[in-house]
Amino acid sequence: MSDTLTKLEAADFINRSFKPLPRSYGDALIEAALADERIVALCADLVPPTETDRFRDELPERFLNTGIAEANMIGMAGGMARSGEIPFCHSFCAFITKRVLDQITMQAAYPNLPVKIVGFLPGVATLLGVSHQAIEDVAIMRAVPNMAIFEPSGPEYHAAMVKLALDWDGPAYLRMKRPETTPAPFEPQSLEVGKGVVRRAGGDVTLISAGLCVVESLNAADLLASEGIDACVVDMASIKPIDAELILEVAAATGAIVTVENHNVIGGLGSAVAEVLMDEGIGLPFKRVGVQDQFCEGGTTPYLMNKFGLDAAAIVDAARGVMKKKD
Amino acid sequence: MNAKHNLEELEKIATRLRLHVVDMVAPSGQGYVQQGLGAADIFASLYFAEATMDPENPDWEDRDRVFLTTAHNTAIFYATLAERGFFNTDLLSTYVTDGSTLEINSSERMGTFVEATCGSLGQGLSVAIGCALAAKRQGRASRFYVIVGDGEMQEGQIWEAAMLAGSKGLDNLCLIVDYNFVQSEGPMDLVMSLEPLMDKMQSFGFACQEVDGNDIGALLSAYGTARETSGQPTFIKANTMMGKGVASLEGLMFHQLKFPPEVAASARAELEAQL
Repeated sequence: MSDTLTKLEAADFINRSFKPLPRSYGDALIEAALADERIVALCADLVPPTETDRFRDELPERFLNTGIAEANMIGMAGGMARSGEIPFCHSFCAFITKRVLDQITMQAAYPNLPVKIVGFLPGVATLLGVSHQAIEDVAIMRAVPNMAIFEPSGPEYHAAMVKLALDWDGPAYLRMKRPETTPAPFEPQSLEVGKGVVRRAGGDVTLISAGLCVVESLNAADLLASEGIDACVVDMASIKPIDAELILEVAAATGAIVTVENHNVIGGLGSAVAEVLMDEGIGLPFKRVGVQDQFCEGGTTPYLMNKFGLDAAAIVDAARGVMKKKD
Repeated sequence: MNAKHNLEELEKIATRLRLHVVDMVAPSGQGYVQQGLGAADIFASLYFAEATMDPENPDWEDRDRVFLTTAHNTAIFYATLAERGFFNTDLLSTYVTDGSTLEINSSERMGTFVEATCGSLGQGLSVAIGCALAAKRQGRASRFYVIVGDGEMQEGQIWEAAMLAGSKGLDNLCLIVDYNFVQSEGPMDLVMSLEPLMDKMQSFGFACQEVDGNDIGALLSAYGTARETSGQPTFIKANTMMGKGVASLEGLMFHQLKFPPEVAASARAELEAQL
């Protein structure tokens, strides 16, 4: 029994094993809240996973942990917004969209109030499995009038997400992803409501992507370059309103489009891009990379991105396919 | 069917389940150790004595059904299912690895012994009530046990469901709250207290009992009382201790921890000494 620990020793080992990750979103939210006293934060008992611990500790009178009760959180946020506040509501993407859609629709979107819906764990990217995977959230939220949707391609865009949410007067959904490691330094381009960002220029095919899939698309573009295919990569961080002008521009310039999303291929970014093209009567080689209308499972993110066809290899395949149709 | 072990055997089983919990979580630090250790006595008493089920025939229509609605407390859940014979204990070592069906949140893709896919909190009680109502209509003697977390009871759906169960006098339903007093943020009263919980449940029409959820004898007696109750659903407030059974972890209120190797090794040694 000499190798057993006392309770104090065990607690000490456990406390020392917690390694805090950067909180780029949480830091940006605090900064915004210090500059604008209308901002309040609500959280349905997922404080560290939604990076709201600093807000809780530094602005406790403007923070409310609502308990594990998302519907009540959104309803209360509607009340706060009616009272001149700008509530940022936090949970996981799956719960803060699907679970409370009716409350969002009636108490935030219909009255067009500045209720900001902030979800973490986008798409397949979680060990926590089907209950925690939001592969329908973009489709659902896109269909809600007045709602804007923004998704960062990495933590370097988290601060811009807070700005976009505030630039949009009505309800907005932020589809966030916590970094799993400390990211390498990167100078982000500025983001605007309704604007995509060209992350790489190219003339043969355009990869239009958002969120986690932007990095995969950039990697795919490198692989395609080695095959002599010159891919343009667009980060469509503003999923709604979408950058129709840019979509039409890259369609004309490259003549082929692949959309890439960490989401079901039904109703998400791919559908949004297709709608823009169809409304203009533009037909061109086109492919949607994303979850192929199936439920997923828990796993590490690289494993899931590969298994469900969201990684660079899947994007390369799709790009080759549309290039063939171009000929 | 019923495993019908005596108290001493059940306590040994609970220790074996705890050992599995430690071994399952130790490699990755993913999963819920403290809650698993705390709930081991509920699982041992329910699956190895109270509930009537047949691992050889998991789809048996007249089985008693156990719904784990806090579906993330899976280390103890899978350990229990494996020891009870629903699948091979070798599978436990695949817990939370890529491609394994033993995910952190249990999914019915494993088999019907996962009676419903929960994980999104507060949903399982409604499903159990639906099954219990159907069983009444079909004249089945099955009983329906639901394990909810205390934090989970903050979800509104729990109260919609409880109100219905009470109003229908659903006496084949037994709701057990694993009352370990910790939610993601920390102690429950820091966020939103459930108290006075017994009064609330009683006013919703439940016959209520409060027991030490780490006392297998007390749990068995509470299940017995629940079984004999007619015309009312039953509620057992099972007060459990986080980390129970491992002296170095008992009462440490970590909702999630990384389970450092030194701590896991100690936990293992402490449990092995009890077998």
